[in-house]
Amino acid sequence: MNALYLAAANLRFHWARTLVLVVAAALVLAVPVLTRALLAQGEAALAARAEATPLLLGTRGSRLDLVMAGAYFTDDLPEPATLAASEAVWDSGLGIPVPLYTAFTTGEARIVGTTLDYFDLRGLEAAEGRPFALLGEAVLGASAAARLRLGPGDTVLSNPENLFDLDGAYPLEMTVVGVLAPTGTPDDEAVFTDIKTAWVIAGIGHGHDDILAEGEDAAAAAARVVQYARITEANIDSFHFHGDPATYPVTAVMVVPHDERSATILRGRYLDAEGPVQAVVPADVIDALVARLLRIAALVDAVTLVVGAAAALALGLALFLTWRLRAPEMRTAFALGAGRGTIARLALAEIGLVLLAAALLAAPLVIALQSHAPTIAARLIALGS
Amino acid sequence: MRTALAALALLAAPAMAQDRPVIVADSYPMAYFAGRLAGSAAEVRLAVPEGRDPTSWRPGLAEIVEIQGADLIVLNGSGLSDWTTRAALPRARTVETGRGLTEELIATETITHSHGAEGSHSHEGVAPETWLDLDLAARQAEALAAALERALPDADVETALAGLQADLAEIDAAAEALVEGDPVPAIASHPRYAYFGRAYGFDVTPLNWEAGAAPTPDQLAELEARAAETGARLLIWEAVPPEEARAAVARLGLAQAVLPSLIVPPAEGDFVSALAGGIDALAEAVAATAN
Repeated sequence: MNALYLAAANLRFHWARTLVLVVAAALVLAVPVLTRALLAQGEAALAARAEATPLLLGTRGSRLDLVMAGAYFTDDLPEPATLAASEAVWDSGLGIPVPLYTAFTTGEARIVGTTLDYFDLRGLEAAEGRPFALLGEAVLGASAAARLRLGPGDTVLSNPENLFDLDGAYPLEMTVVGVLAPTGTPDDEAVFTDIKTAWVIAGIGHGHDDILAEGEDAAAAAARVVQYARITEANIDSFHFHGDPATYPVTAVMVVPHDERSATILRGRYLDAEGPVQAVVPADVIDALVARLLRIAALVDAVTLVVGAAAALALGLALFLTWRLRAPEMRTAFALGAGRGTIARLALAEIGLVLLAAALLAAPLVIALQSHAPTIAARLIALGS
Repeated sequence: MRTALAALALLAAPAMAQDRPVIVADSYPMAYFAGRLAGSAAEVRLAVPEGRDPTSWRPGLAEIVEIQGADLIVLNGSGLSDWTTRAALPRARTVETGRGLTEELIATETITHSHGAEGSHSHEGVAPETWLDLDLAARQAEALAAALERALPDADVETALAGLQADLAEIDAAAEALVEGDPVPAIASHPRYAYFGRAYGFDVTPLNWEAGAAPTPDQLAELEARAAETGARLLIWEAVPPEEARAAVARLGLAQAVLPSLIVPPAEGDFVSALAGGIDALAEAVAATAN
């Protein structure tokens, strides 16, 4: 008890040095735990999302890019496929295709243009408001809504695709009509719109006043045209689309086959390496990715162990040097009758108190971050590149 | 028939309160087909309010939300419900019965306009009344039956489809017998008979008269001019005209028949009986022109 009292008094007296020791020890304790927790959560989130996405169709190329863009809404976008890939699945009667067009962003959130079937198939429900019903409406994922501080009745503006492309996609202001309940998946980070709204952002569809005066040349009138940057009740009827819908772009098509046999037939249809469209089973791609992550995690564990040992040695050295500095003080204590055991107890009490304080500091940090691990992992996955 | 009429009567009832699956159709022919095929296994509703033309009707937000909640949404396609290009509908619960008719569609006037740096572009219109070609109607019924078999696995859709197709085939045969040889020039009070004319041998010149209303003197003059221009001796009314209108047309020497386009529910009967009655009336009018 006396040793503890004296150790505490000494640590309190040298509070700055004690603080540095405690923070350093807390970090040494917390970082490996947090790294493992986030890695485990990331792996679990990746695997769960892949399992919930039976099949993805997209342009032939990187399978990983297709899966990451189609299932996790990352920034690495594959070359767009066309809506014809989705319609072909409809015509086959083998499954339900859900086209996804994720080419645009708002703030730091990705805009996911899709159909209402996506909500049905993912089991997404609005915690506030309702799903989108009209062109120009958007529904926010839970985390996106919290980060952007938006809710039903607010508006979001799509980011310009290229600041220097004056003829490119112009920002479209969309009305937020709902916020989804949190799911701990990349859906939380996304801003959902009807895929037709995403095509409006892409410039495939647009609305404008009918400005052609009687007898006027269309080319002359064209210069006066101002396209609407917001879809409202007053102008929605002027919005229209150009070209064959089958040629409209999609980033990926999520397919939910009706049964195992349908899934096998569907996959067989896209085996031709010369075909423009590939079918990817996300679970296969993610299993390979997770296997790589596990190898990296083992390396991280080894590195953490070495760094931890080095940090422990450094802390030990710091304590040892401290005791060397306190040698005259110890000699005085010895002269006053304190035995070697008492002095050892004093040293151990100081080390114990530092480690206890470090653990007390690390524990809430670990608990707090672990409770947010699903959100952090989802955000890290969604950030992609 | 009873099912369809009952469905129309329940038009305004909220979808949520129903025990049976709810089917919402965008036009009367699709509602009738759905009613015939689903029988009592589902409640069929016409999305379009009574008296409104589905080609010009635009649903409000509340109506779209209600349509979104349906177990199956039946669209005619062929550009009939233009509002669907600006509304979000669940694709997995939507069937566009005219989806397979691309090659058979009849283009209408093309609107060309221009804006921005994109240059000019065109919007090609399509005549939506595909059901007036009974062969196309039968194919639409088949497409609808396929969707209904998935949506209503307990309903005997196959038997109902056979019955419906038999009825359609009977009317088709009657319509096929209307004209033998070269196409017969005819004038229609409204541009809704492109498919009917092409399928059954009528060279139809459309006017744009309001259904059921008496034509103005200018409209009658236009009719006379068109008749002289095309050699038509037959006028097809979309809806029963006022007696004075019928008399005025008769004075121009034109035979007349009422052939409901069925884009809205008929005043009497159902799709099959109204169309069969119209074909009978048309047969009499064609015979009158031959005399």
